[in-house]
Formats: sequence, structure tokens, C-alpha cells
Amino acid sequence: MVVVRAAARGMVGLVLGAVMAVVELPWALLAVPLRALPPTRLWSVRVTRMLAEADRVRVNRCLGGAIAVGPAGGRASAYVALRGLLGGLGGAVLMLVGVWVVLSWRALSGASGERAEMSWHDPLTWTAFVVLVVFLAAQALMGLAALERRLAVWGLAPSDKEVLRSRVDQLSRTRAEVLEAVDDERRRIERDLHDGVQQRLVALGMLLGRADRAADRDAAASLFRQAQEESRRALEELREVAWRIYPAALDDGGLPVALESLAESSGLPILLDYDVPVRLGPAQETVAYFVICEAVTNALKHSRARRVEVEVRRSDGRLLVRVSDDGVGGARADGRGLSGLARRVAAHDGRFELDSPAGGPTALRVELPCA
Amino acid sequence: MRIVLAEDSTLLREGLTRLLSEDGHDVVAAVGDGEGLVAACDEHRPDVVIADVRMPPTFTNEGLRAALAVRRRHPGIAVLVLSQYVDKRYAAQLVDGDVRGVGYLLKDRVVEVGDFLEALRRVADGGTAFDPEVVRRLLNRARDTESLARLSPREHEVLALMAQGHTNESIAGRLHVSRSAVEKHANAIFDKLGLTHVDGYNRRVLAIVRFLND
Repeated sequence: MVVVRAAARGMVGLVLGAVMAVVELPWALLAVPLRALPPTRLWSVRVTRMLAEADRVRVNRCLGGAIAVGPAGGRASAYVALRGLLGGLGGAVLMLVGVWVVLSWRALSGASGERAEMSWHDPLTWTAFVVLVVFLAAQALMGLAALERRLAVWGLAPSDKEVLRSRVDQLSRTRAEVLEAVDDERRRIERDLHDGVQQRLVALGMLLGRADRAADRDAAASLFRQAQEESRRALEELREVAWRIYPAALDDGGLPVALESLAESSGLPILLDYDVPVRLGPAQETVAYFVICEAVTNALKHSRARRVEVEVRRSDGRLLVRVSDDGVGGARADGRGLSGLARRVAAHDGRFELDSPAGGPTALRVELPCA
Repeated sequence: MRIVLAEDSTLLREGLTRLLSEDGHDVVAAVGDGEGLVAACDEHRPDVVIADVRMPPTFTNEGLRAALAVRRRHPGIAVLVLSQYVDKRYAAQLVDGDVRGVGYLLKDRVVEVGDFLEALRRVADGGTAFDPEVVRRLLNRARDTESLARLSPREHEVLALMAQGHTNESIAGRLHVSRSAVEKHANAIFDKLGLTHVDGYNRRVLAIVRFLND
């Protein structure tokens, strides 16, 4: 079944290729003068690229190619010209194969009205001949498909150098983004310390100062009690800030323990489904933890969700993290917390997908490579 | 004194209100942002304003800008600005122009309730109050200038207190010396720094701060 489907797809691809050659060959000739003239240059380059792109899609879809989008602008016109020729050749081969199959059929069945040269009643001859016809026809078509793929690789796929260059571009971009994300996090920590812990300590000091100046002992005692309570709150706040900066449990018990602790301390019910049999690398654990933590915080703060589901599993060397809630949606990937995380995920060559339509629900999916 | 307080942290706003009431002052309005501060001053015309630098919505220098706006609209209202960390520019912006009735303190100073209330009173009376940390940094930066190097350690101490806005009496009290001794030190400092003799307490502070900030 699979073979039949692949064969059918291949046939469609080859026929399409032959049809496209009708456009490509004349265009290759026409494009030479068009490219020489400044007013039409840009336009002609665009059409050439469109044709090349259409071919790339055709080869990938129908002929089993796996050609990445490359810059390949320089080779596109040469490719289109050669492709036109190859398409013409392909058309000719298709036609020959067709004629040959028909002739063979007639030879076998005597459809022309004359008596068949070879007899229907000789199964051995018949079978041998059909197998030969099918085999030769398939060979010709497969050879044609292989030729198409090679030409497309030569003409369209990015060269090693181009692949490297785009990788370097991507790395520089993600590196810059990570540095930005680090600065954002530092800003957040500063805010946490100044607006949280420092305020509490000032309030505590103020209570002690007032107690010191209090007129009677009862008032002083009450202020001291308040001061004690305030110092307890300051410590609590400090512990929370430290935990937000880096949950120590990550180093100690790893991601599952840190997530359990997150679930226990959260104001929302969190359904945790953790299914990773091995201990992950610290980098993956940290990114995964902060992604989940941010998603849960967002759900708690903005989504009016009643519960959050967290799923962590591993398949095909990738760590899959999914956080979904039943809230009102409308989360934005360019929001402060999430955009920083998206940049971190990108720096790990991961994928970050947020689906949060207005009205909900929200689902965040992150994939990270893990060896 | 009639006071308008602008502080976005409820905790501190309430704490400060209590503290000030216990000291016999009247907190006529306590607000949580810059706009509220300007509006409250228009309405109540207080003697003094206490404003946190960082407030919503931008959490940058909202409070300072509001305090400066209050001074422009009502030059008679003294302002005391509190900030989470030392930024010399804030102090510079406050003294740019009239130096009467301005103060810039770290929030932490509130903890030293006595000193804080004294600084507040000084500012409300038309004096100045600069955070010791701001002054220390200014002095540190100017440390290498020749004229500053010629000051004796005692004169350094007196200079630091003068720059913070303390009066001669207050300096005398803090250093446990007589008032005339402080005056003698002050004259020596003005001579050594090459500041023409400035009369009046505010102009003295201004001259020192400008000298150090130069």
C-alpha cells in the first residue's frame, strides 16, 4: 500500500514536473534579457525564485526530497534553466514509457485486431514479459526522480557554507537574546528586593524606632510584638525571593522535586504528570522549571484558571513540557516573563509554542533537545 | 506640621503615617502615586511633602518628578524625597534652583526615627537634608582635589555635616564641641575651598553641594 502510494505520488510529481517545464524552459530564455534591464531585474529575479520554490515543494512532496529552504539565490536561474531541460527530458521519458507500455499491451493482447504474436494462453511468457515491462518502466521513472532530486539538491539546497552561516546567525541572535533575558531577570530581582524585602525591613526598623520612643510600656510591648511579626514576614519574603531566583531543590532532588514543591506551594491545584525515567541535565531542568513556573504564575495571576495541568515527558531524545490551564486565555508570548523564557528555550535549540486564544484555554508547549 | 505623604507600599505608608502622628504631626493625605501627590498638594497646601522616588505606573522616578512639579506650583511647600538607593542625580535635580526646603534621604533613614524626624523638621523650616551616603559619595569623588586634601580630619567631618544640611548648633551637638568652634572650622573650610564667604545657612549648603558636585 505504502509502495503504491509512493509510486502514485512520484508519478504525479513527474507529470507536474513535465508540465512545469513548459513554463520553465521559455522563462529561462526570456529571463536573460529581462535580468539585463534594470527596471525588470527585480521582478524577473522574483519570478525565478518563485519557480524554484515551487519546484522545491514539488520535489519534497512528491519525489521524496528533503531540501531545506536555502538562500540559493545565485543558483536559482541556472537551476530553473536546467530544470526546464530535465523536465522536458522527463516528459519525453514519460511519453516513451507510456508508448512502450501500450505497445506491449497490444502485443500481448492482440488489441489491434490482429492475432497476438504471443499467446494469452502461455502464462510463463506472459508473466515474464509483464514483469520486464513493469521493471523497465519503474527503473526509468525512478531514475528520473533521482535525477530531479539531485538537481534540486545542487540548485536549491543551501550549501554547507550557507548552512553554517545561517547557524552562526541563529547562534548570535539567540546569544544576544539570552543576554537580554538575563538582564530582564536581574531587573526583576532588583525589584523584588527593593520593593519587597527592603520595604519590610524599613517597616520593621520603623516599628522598633517607634517602640523605642513609646511613652508607656504597654504601647512599647505591642510595637515590639508587631516588629517581631514584621521580621518573620521579611524572612518569609526573603526566602520567596531567593527561591524565585533559583530553587535550590533543582540541584538537590532535580526537576521532579522542584516541581512538587512548586505544586505544594501554589495557590492553584496543579496536576503534575512527570514521566521521565532518567535524571535530566541541569541546563534542561532549569529551563523546564522556569518555563513551568512562569506558566503557573501567569495562570494564577491573569487567567482565572481553576486548575493547571503540567506534563513532562521524554521522547525521541526530546524533552516535552506542556502546561495547560482552564482559564480565560489571552496570554501573550511577547509578555515580559514569557518572552524571556522563549529566548532561553531558543538558545537551547528548543521550540516554544503558546496557544492562548481569548476566552481560553491556554496551553504552552516547549520542546527541548536532551541527550 | 501638615504633611502629604506619597508612598506606594501600603505597609510603609501606614507605618509612616502612624510614626508622624505619634510625633504630633498631621498627615492630611497619604497617596500612592505621583499624580495623587500633585492633586493632594493642590487641595491641601501642606507645609511639607514626603515622597517615595519610585512609584507606579513606571516605577522609575515618578515621585521625584511629582515632587519637583509640586515645588514649581507651590514654591512654599517643602519636599523630602525618599529613595531605595542613592542616586546623586536626584539630589542634583532637587537643588537645581532653590535650595530652601528640600531633602533627599535613603528610605533606610526612616529607621533612625529621631534623625528622620529632625531632618523632616529641618526641611519643613526651610532648611535642607541630604543623605549622609550622598554626601559621602560626593566627598569621595572630590577627594583628590587639592583644596579638599588640605582639610584637617575634623574639618572633613564638619564639611560632611554641613553638606548634609545640619546647622552649626546641630553640628556642635553631634561633634560635642562648642558652637564657636564649629564656626571657626566652617570659616577655615570656606577659606581652604576657595568659596567666597557665603552668609546664610542655605546658601552655605548650596555652595558646598555645588562645589562637590562640580
